[in-house]
Formats: sequence, structure tokens, C-alpha cells
Amino acid sequence: MIPLNCYLGLSAIIFAIGLYGLISQSNGIRILMRVELMLNSANINFVAFSSYNDDLTGQVFVLFSIALAAAEAVIGFAILISIYRMHDSIDLSKLNLLRW
Amino acid sequence: MAIEDLAFLIPILPALAFVLTFFLGKKLPSGGAMIPIAAITGSFLISIVITINMLANPEHVISQSYHWFSILNLGILIDPLAAVMLSMVSFVSLLIHIFALGYMSHDKAQSRYFAETALFTAAMLGVVLSDNILQFFICWELVGLSSYLLIGFWFEKPSAASAAKKAFLTTRIGDVMFLAGIILLFTDIFKLVNGTIPDGVYLLRFDEIFSFIPELSAMTATILGYEISHLTIITLLFFGGAVGKSGQFPLHVWLPDAMEGPTTVSALIHAATMVTAGVYLVARTFPMFLAAPQSLIIVAYVGAFTALFAATMGLVMNDLKRVLAFSTISQLGYMTLGLGMGAVIGAEAVGISIFHLINHAFFKALLFLCAGSVIHAVGTHDMRQLGGVAKVMPITAATMFAAALALAGLGIPGTRIGASGFLSKDPIIEAAYLFGEHGGSWFPYVFAIVAALLTSLYIFRLLFMTFTGEPRSDYGGHESPASMTVPLGILGVFALIFGALTTKVFNGFLSTTFLNDFVHMDFHELAGLGGYELAHTAGHHEPLLILWMPIIVALIGLLIAFVVYYLKLIDMSDIVSRNNPVYKLLYNRYYQHQIFTELFSIKFIYEGIALAGFYLEKSLDWIVSGISGFIIEAGEVLKKAQTGVIQQYATAIITGVGLLLILVELVTEVF
Repeated sequence: MIPLNCYLGLSAIIFAIGLYGLISQSNGIRILMRVELMLNSANINFVAFSSYNDDLTGQVFVLFSIALAAAEAVIGFAILISIYRMHDSIDLSKLNLLRW
Repeated sequence: MAIEDLAFLIPILPALAFVLTFFLGKKLPSGGAMIPIAAITGSFLISIVITINMLANPEHVISQSYHWFSILNLGILIDPLAAVMLSMVSFVSLLIHIFALGYMSHDKAQSRYFAETALFTAAMLGVVLSDNILQFFICWELVGLSSYLLIGFWFEKPSAASAAKKAFLTTRIGDVMFLAGIILLFTDIFKLVNGTIPDGVYLLRFDEIFSFIPELSAMTATILGYEISHLTIITLLFFGGAVGKSGQFPLHVWLPDAMEGPTTVSALIHAATMVTAGVYLVARTFPMFLAAPQSLIIVAYVGAFTALFAATMGLVMNDLKRVLAFSTISQLGYMTLGLGMGAVIGAEAVGISIFHLINHAFFKALLFLCAGSVIHAVGTHDMRQLGGVAKVMPITAATMFAAALALAGLGIPGTRIGASGFLSKDPIIEAAYLFGEHGGSWFPYVFAIVAALLTSLYIFRLLFMTFTGEPRSDYGGHESPASMTVPLGILGVFALIFGALTTKVFNGFLSTTFLNDFVHMDFHELAGLGGYELAHTAGHHEPLLILWMPIIVALIGLLIAFVVYYLKLIDMSDIVSRNNPVYKLLYNRYYQHQIFTELFSIKFIYEGIALAGFYLEKSLDWIVSGISGFIIEAGEVLKKAQTGVIQQYATAIITGVGLLLILVELVTEVF
């Protein structure tokens, strides 16, 4: 059986990749994908703990979390489409109206 | 139902009349004047029945207390002193209200007038029957408020508005002293009872206050190196309040200016309400004064000085009402002097002083109403333009003459025949003589005698200048309507014979004020606390000259006025001119306006406050703009953090969370 730490390590690596991407990228779709990555790293943690503790609650949570991620993606992409219609670009670093 | 149960109605009825007239008066005929007149008639009837009952049994006083909060109460106390005051106030006020029916009939704001005079009367009645010093103070302030409203009745006139303000602010100085006295008294008594108060004992009720007199006089404070008992301080503060309300020197400045209101208001202020409140305060707390001889001496000196000081100014005024105003101040000086004479004659002082107060109320109300009647008919109150008014207004002239006789105090010494002023002023002057004889100074006596001369002089000057001789200007006069002449006639009868009728019973009746089932004071013991002895007044004999002195000077005054202003044998134009420094000094009223208003109020107080205000504003400005400037500067720096770049926000969040985690880790390791 694969030790728990491997799952946690995998989860941490995926989270870090997502985080790095979130900070470094400026393309809106890429940022959304990074957010998905971070969300899923958390899901991995949930499932791993659930399996190791013989407790289904974690897995139920993950189902909710996936549904939530889908809804979030829908809204996120809808926003991005309307941004594209307005600016002909989805470069979020240029969307800096709310600044000093 | 006993009449005592209705006693609470005495101030309540006029108070209700105030509310009704204020809101409904405009819709009723003659401004709803009938409501206050009916209400005050009710108060008067109750008061007079109570007084008559009490005459038979003066030891039985009416005292009803209701719990208010904590250790304070609301209540009524009607002892002989309060009973005569109640009857006088409601009676004179009633007559003035009836007179005002005619006098104010041309005024548009009649309902406001009658509402406010009803409030005035209610407040004064409230003062008179308070059984504790706090309730007394509340009604006292109400009196001040209504006087402000009434003096400024014609508030469109700037002079009336400023006179109202002056009256309010000047009496305020006294009121603050009075309040300070009450606070000091309360804290002292509270200290004395050690915080344990039996049920049903109200600390500020007069009987409780009086029972603490020995302890209070034993408490001393050191001021400027002098050892002064707390009782002296409290009584002096109380007297400060009386000085403000009763127009004693140096707080008398508001009274002459108070003439700006309608003449009936002046009559009300000068006779029945307001100015008598101060004298009444001293009379009410007289046992305290008796145990504080220093205060009594100051009371006597202030009174004597005021009596003379105001009389000299009354001599040269040309305005009908102003002469009467200075006369009021002077007569109040006599009352205060009479109270101060308690240092020799004990509680009898209350009797003679209040007797003068009552008589003065009758003849001074009469004088003012006569003046009002003249002004109403003629339209001017400058005596230089009047003259010969007696021909057109015989009733007014006759009643004014009666009032003048009473004010000058003409009568036959040694008997009880004389105008009421004679029977009440003489005992005061005699008491002043006793004061000198028993080791006090002679100043009060001399001042009182000279003031008596001047009193007679100025009132007959007024009479001759106004009513006799040839008219000095064109005026179309007519006798006033019956609603005005009837009160004049009633008051005229009272001014002449009230004194003679009551002089025998009055002193005996009032002497039970502090000897009854409510309070029972031993005056010799009180005097002993103050460290002096009362003179044994029973069967004292003044030299005949002293007995006749007041009447002699009054006749001299009458004679001078007759020669100068009626026969015109002496040409006064040399003396009455701006070149005569004495005349100039008197005419300008000792430059009080210049000293009090221009120099003191404007130069020192106003400009001082303005200067302080300037610097205060500057420093406040500096603080406020400093704070706002700092916040703006900080904002300028901090707003740079809002870059609008999402990635940077994310970085900041992550860094923050990371730092927080490290911090939590460190903290959990340490503990």
C-alpha cells in the first residue's frame, strides 16, 4: 500500500505548481486552470485521508468540491468571455481599473 | 373635605391656565384672558380661606410631602409666612390681570401675554409654598424664565429683547450662587448624617435643614486666612441669589431696564412676583441667617446702601416708569435692611420686613397701574411732556395720590393711623435705630432716614410733574375703562388702610412662622450659636425725636417737591443741568451702564472671551488640520499598494498566510 505521505507530497507539489502559475501568469484562462489545480490538490488530500481513516465523509466532500469547481469554472469562463468582448484580450494584468 | 386638601391647587390652577390659554387663547375673546383670571381667582379664594383659618390657629401649619426620588421630596408648606405671601401674590396678580384686560386690549398677542403672566403667577405661588429648598429653586428658576419672556414681550423692539436678556443674565449670577449654596448645604448635611437616613426624612426639607443649623455652624472653612463657618458661606450664597432676584446692589441693573415690557408686567414683577422672591428666600431660611451674624450684617448693609443709592437715582429720572423702578429697588433695600436687623431684634425682623413687602406690593402695584393708565391714555411716559393729567383722569390721579402717600409713609407716629407704607417702613427704621444703639454701626439708620427723605421727594416730584400744572405737550387723554379703574380703586383702598387694619395682628401672626408644629426654633439659642445676644425689645422706648424723624423727613420731602414742582418758586434750571456734576452723575445713573456693560461686560468679559476664543480656535484648527493632514499623507503612501494587478494581490495573500503560519508555529513552540 502506498504510504499516505506520498499522496500528501503529490498534493503539495500540485498545489505549489498551481500557486506558482497563479502568481506568474497573466492569461485569464491559465489562471483559472491554476485555480483548478490547487482545488484538486486539496481534493487529493481529502480522498487520501478519507481512505486511510476508513471514513467516507472526505469523499463526499470531494464530490461537492468537484461540483463546486465546475460551477466556478462556468462563471469564471463566462466572465472571461465578456472581458474578451470588451477588451479583445484576456490579459488580466491589463485589467487594472481598480487601482490608485 | 378640608380646605388643606385643596392647597396643592394654588399653583396648579394658574399653571393649567397657562397651558389652556397658550393653546386655545387665540380662539377665545380677549385672548382667553378669562381662563387665567378664573384660575387666579380660585387660587386667591383658597389662599385667603387658608389664611383666615390659620389666623385662628397659627401653630397648625399645612405641610404635605410626597416622595419624589431617593431622599428628596415634593411638598407644600403653608405657615403664616407663606399664607400671607400666597394671599398677597394671588390677590395683586388677580387685580393686575383684570387691569390688563383693558390695558392689553389693543395688543395682537394678548393670548401669549395672558398665558405668560399665568405662568409667572404659578411659578411665584410655587416658590412661596415649597417645603424644600430644591423645589423652591426649581420654581425660582421658572420665575426667572417667565420674567424673561414677559420683559421681552415686545421682542420685535431691540431694546426690549436686550432688556430681557439683561434681566435673565443678571439674575443668573445670583441663581448660580443660590444653586452653589444648595449644593454646599446638601453635601454638608449628607456628610453629617453619615449616609444613614431614616425613612420618611427628606434632607432638603426646611425642618431638616433647620435641625442641622448647630452642626453647620460648627463646620468651618478657612478662606483667605479667616475662619468662616459653613453656615455663613451657605447663607451668603443664598443671599447672593436674593440680591439677584430682588435687585439689590450690585445686581440691581436689570430692574430699571425691565420697564421695556408692558406696564402691567412691570407691576407684576415689581409688586407681586419676582423681586419679592429674593426677600422671601431670606425670610424663609431666616433661622440659618440668625445663626450666622456676619451674613446678617452684610444683608443689613447691602439693604441700607441699596435703599439710599436707588433713591438718589429716582430723584432725577424723567421717565414715569423709571422713577418707579428705582423706587422699587429702594423699597426692596428697606425690606432687606429689615431682615438684616434680625441681628438685634431676632425673628421679629421677618415680621416687619414681610409686612413692608405686603404693603409695598399694594402701593407699588397701584403706582405702576396708575402709570400704566396714564401711558395707556396719553401715549407717553416722559414726565416733561405731561402735566395737568389730573383734569382728564381724576380717578387715576386720586389713586396715584393715595399710593404716593403710602410710599412716602405719611402717618401719625405713636398711633396706628397712617398710610400702609408708614406703618411698615417706620418699624424698619426704628429697628435700624436699635441696631445702632446696641453697638452696631449707625450707617443703616442714617441711610434709611436719608432714603426716606428722598423717597418722599421723588414720588411727589413725579406726582406734581405729571398731574398738576399746565399740559406741556398736546395729548388727547381720557379716563381709562372700568376694568382698569376698578382695580385701581381697590388697590388704592388697600394702600391706604391695609397697614392700619393689620399692623396689630401681623407681627404676632408672622412670629409663629418658626414656632409651630412644623419647626420650632429657639431664637436666643440660634443667636448664641452665632456668638451674640438679641436685644430685649419688649418695652423699648426710643426718644420722641427718633419716633418722629421718618415723618418729619417725609414732610420735608413733600414740602420741597411742593415748592419746586407745584408752586415753582425755585427755578431748578441751574441745578438740573448737564453742567452740574452731581446732577450729571445721578442722571447717568452713576455711570453704571458704562461701568457694568461697556467696561466690565464688553471690555473684560466679551473681549477676553473673544481673545481666548481666537487662540482656542487657532489651536483647535491646528489639531484638526494636523490629524486630517496626517491621514491624507498616510493615504498617499499607502494607496500605492493598490496596484490593480491580481497576481500581486495573490502574492501578498500567500505571503501573508505564510507568515501567519510561521508565526503560529513559533507561538505554539514557545508556549
